[in-house]
Amino acid sequence: MGTIIPSWRQLDEGYMRLTQQQREEIKRLVLPLLDDLERFALSLCHREDLAEELVAATIASACESFGRLRDTTKAKQWLFRILSNKFLSDCRRQSRHKEIALTDSLEDDNNQFSLFAAVSQPFLLWWGNPERELISHLLDEDIQNALDSLPGDFRVAVALCDVEGLTYEQIASILKIPLGTVRSRIARGRSLLQKKLWHHARDMGLVKTKEPHQ
Amino acid sequence: MKTINKKTVKTISCDQAIKLVFSYIDDEIRGTHRAELEHHLETCRHCFDRVAFEKLLKSRLRRLNVGGSSKRLRQRIDTLLEQF
Ligand SMILES: [Zn+2]
Repeated sequence: MGTIIPSWRQLDEGYMRLTQQQREEIKRLVLPLLDDLERFALSLCHREDLAEELVAATIASACESFGRLRDTTKAKQWLFRILSNKFLSDCRRQSRHKEIALTDSLEDDNNQFSLFAAVSQPFLLWWGNPERELISHLLDEDIQNALDSLPGDFRVAVALCDVEGLTYEQIASILKIPLGTVRSRIARGRSLLQKKLWHHARDMGLVKTKEPHQ
Repeated sequence: MKTINKKTVKTISCDQAIKLVFSYIDDEIRGTHRAELEHHLETCRHCFDRVAFEKLLKSRLRRLNVGGSSKRLRQRIDTLLEQF
């Protein structure tokens, strides 16, 4: 994340331009969702200061386009969409993840890396449960780092599904993408995340297996 | 009430079961597919363990950042929105 994210001043100015009634409405809609927005932002950009900037930028945008929100019962979905779009456009601006658009179109979802497959040892049952043991050795920070390593589109999909606990349909609606694409991004995102965790576990000496096939 | 008879549930392979695991842990499959997978899980230890593993990892992600945020953002937003 760079320093391109709109500042608090934009939020200040955006809010100032609203009528008193709109301000009250924004407060009523946004304040109860602030914790959700911050958690989502944190799961995407990890650093607290960046997450705060992202939330501020989201609310600034919400103030600007407030007139376009028809159904206020969908405020959460609307705010999550703004936040996702802000995050993704920032990712693209940094152009670190040019490959995203390409990988979406590949259909090979079945042949992906699985941490379970790499670690479990079905023929050595008396060893207990190495894959569960591995998970218990991983810190929240390890898991967050793995999430951070994902290309933006996959990170958003996995965060909405796993961190926020939203349904595929809700995610499709937030990101304005088909259900099949949601499914595929979650599967690919998890696969990449698990591969990252596997490499970390290997570096930490938590697993003794050889390089996985994929 | 319509129930799915065990005898009519199709037997699926491990490969077919694995394809359904993510949808299953996300509670995104219903009806026949769900019944087929659950039937498979009753008889296949490997796939059962896989499901348990994916659920466990998902629960670790769910836990991220819960209650971990600072009060700073709320204070800044509150101050900003209340000044008008
Ligand atoms: Zn099986």
